[in-house]
Amino acid sequence: MTGLESLKTESTLYSKPESLADRATHYCAGCGHGIVQRLIAEVVDELNIFDRAICVSSIGCTVTSYNYFNFDGLESAHGRAPAVATAIKRCHPNLVPFTIQGDGDLASIGVAEIVHVCARGENLTIIFVNNAIYGMTGGQMAPTTLIDMYSTSTPGGRKPDTSGYPIRMSEMLSTLDGPAYISRVSLHNPANIRRAKKAIKLAFKTQLAGLGLSLVEILSPCPVNWKMDPVKALEFVAGKMTQQYPLGEFKISDAAALLKKDL
Amino acid sequence: MPDKKILMGGNIAIAEGAILAGCHAYFGYPITPQNEILEHMSKRMSEEGRVFVQTESELAAINMVYGAAASGCRAMTSTSSPGFSLQQEGISYMSGSELPGVIVNVMRGGPGLGNIGGAQGDYFQATKGGGHGDYKVITLAPASVQEMMDLTMLAFDLADKYRNPVIVLADGFLGQAMEPVVIRKAVTALPEKKWAVSGTKGRQKNIINSFEMDPAAFPGRVKVLLDKFDRMQKDEVRFEDINLEDASIALIAYGSASRAALTAMNLARSKGIKVGLLRPVTLFPFPYNAIKKLANKIDRFIVAELSAGQLIEDVRIAAGTEMKIDLVARYGGAPMTAEDIIEAIEKAM
Amino acid sequence: MLEEIVISGFGGQGLLVIGRLLADAGMIEDRNVVWLPSYGAEKRGGTCSCHITISNEKIGALYIKRPTAAIVMSPSALTRLEPLVKSDGILVINSSLIADKVGRNDIRTVYVPANELAAEVKDDSVANLVVLGALIAHQPITARASIITAINTLFSKSGTMLEANTKAFLKGYTQE
Repeated sequence: MTGLESLKTESTLYSKPESLADRATHYCAGCGHGIVQRLIAEVVDELNIFDRAICVSSIGCTVTSYNYFNFDGLESAHGRAPAVATAIKRCHPNLVPFTIQGDGDLASIGVAEIVHVCARGENLTIIFVNNAIYGMTGGQMAPTTLIDMYSTSTPGGRKPDTSGYPIRMSEMLSTLDGPAYISRVSLHNPANIRRAKKAIKLAFKTQLAGLGLSLVEILSPCPVNWKMDPVKALEFVAGKMTQQYPLGEFKISDAAALLKKDL
Repeated sequence: MPDKKILMGGNIAIAEGAILAGCHAYFGYPITPQNEILEHMSKRMSEEGRVFVQTESELAAINMVYGAAASGCRAMTSTSSPGFSLQQEGISYMSGSELPGVIVNVMRGGPGLGNIGGAQGDYFQATKGGGHGDYKVITLAPASVQEMMDLTMLAFDLADKYRNPVIVLADGFLGQAMEPVVIRKAVTALPEKKWAVSGTKGRQKNIINSFEMDPAAFPGRVKVLLDKFDRMQKDEVRFEDINLEDASIALIAYGSASRAALTAMNLARSKGIKVGLLRPVTLFPFPYNAIKKLANKIDRFIVAELSAGQLIEDVRIAAGTEMKIDLVARYGGAPMTAEDIIEAIEKAM
Repeated sequence: MLEEIVISGFGGQGLLVIGRLLADAGMIEDRNVVWLPSYGAEKRGGTCSCHITISNEKIGALYIKRPTAAIVMSPSALTRLEPLVKSDGILVINSSLIADKVGRNDIRTVYVPANELAAEVKDDSVANLVVLGALIAHQPITARASIITAINTLFSKSGTMLEANTKAFLKGYTQE
């Protein structure tokens, strides 16, 4: 009970999506994951796929994503969400599985699975939340951590000679023939959040049209582990992350591009 | 009119058994000596209009089994020892998430890359819960090509009955051997799975997981699993006993080792030595009680295994510390012969 | 009657095929059979063996240590198997490929120039059927007719292979 039930409004401009569960999340203040989940829920509502959507969670801060939606969902072992989603889609072509994976899950331990789900061009959707850090384990270096960026396992900042270079997954995966749609978006301001939603919606529409694999990489702030306040974290995404990870579409098939006109 | 028999390879019998049992999805990665399962399934599953994926690794394969099982389908993977090691994590997740599914391990010599010859060195890994955490998996040990088919079919039923993975633990000799087989009837009625993640239509949402954020809640979930493993130990023990009534020596062996033991037993009997054979069919749950009872009336056990002393540990637990138990161990991919066991019998006399 | 046959040589010599024909022939006669291959990781040229057990009783061991009959198709196979054949057993040797003679006199020994005889029918690829014919001629493990039926079934899809294999088998069966 919010105590506001008696208030009457003329028209609803903004409300909680039907697909989004009515419960608190475990995310830290200023985290981008909550926004991602809301955008997915809005898209699921708008595309009317509530009873077909399956949330395939992964390991990391996405671990209990299934708790925050009102439709079916399941856990998967670290890095293996694309394999789990592959099986669900192959067994039930009418279902609409999507994975939510962080950078450690998708770009480190799960590289084989993400490459091969793309190589096979499985008709499913990957939501890749890139916050350049291992969030849930307390801020260690991720495969996407920027050069010179602090983490608890690169205390002097990430140095290429000992820790290598950050991986641009969307660009890498775009070299494969399987995917129909790959794009990178960001959550650093409302305009970009709206673009992120369009990309997510296009990804799901690509799956619904049976066009093959769709992947949206979302640059997302992690103020707690970056040791920044939420505003500074958004500035870091806008100023630093987008330099290493440029926004845009890396791959879109002609058929998927046609779906853009009624987004 | 007896059932018509056809000559079939052990690996093929596993594949056909899975199809007869209503396996809707097969996922696998090539590894010798079980490649015939993957190859046969690549053809047969498409003929049946079912799902086949050659995966990027054994890890992907077991996690696809997890996904297919979570969505309510009967699913299977097959592998051999090194691949089975990789799959332990996924099997732990399946048991923790209470998902049925069948994992076939046609064992080869180990440790490491080892050898492509048949072996039974994964006994501990299969029967004691080879991955992380407190879990057990029903482990079925075929000893003939016919049983490769029959126990694969049984594996699917037991997996659904307990909502837990089931392992078919065969060895490379059985996988490669051909024997006459009677083709069984296909399963037509599969159990309903209301818990599956199959789309939230007309019901509350389903979640499949093995995770509790609240540390106080997780022990209770594990207890539910433990009670299930106790029920398996109580209700699912299977074994074959031959000539044990008057025996003074009991051979204990499973899989292809038990075949050599059968020949050895017959040879010993022809020489007037009273030898019997107890062949565990379920390795977990293990026939502890049967062996304990036997220990009270025989002089000696001879354990024959294609590993360096794994099965014998369970026999020791059942028989007690005072019992005489000899070990005939062939390992690293070497076959067990009847002569090996005869030698042990004669030494014991 | 328990027949335990080991066929040994190199991969690619068709040893598994003639083992399969023996197993099929056993089944045609309503007997129990086991066919067990054994080979290295490579597909061609490595050591290859095939163990076939045929019995009217339930069969135990899959792997045969002491065969009642053996066919050897390489010098190393002869070295390995000569001491293992059971007393009163039979050893068939492809003398086209093996110059050595057997020292034992408690077993029957049959020398067959299988590659030369195979060349009269087709080429080396049917030398396996020649040695099988020689084995069945000297030790009727199954009836000759059962092997012929098995050949007809196994090679039913290829007329030329069927004809060449049948001829090669009969060549081995009738040679002195």
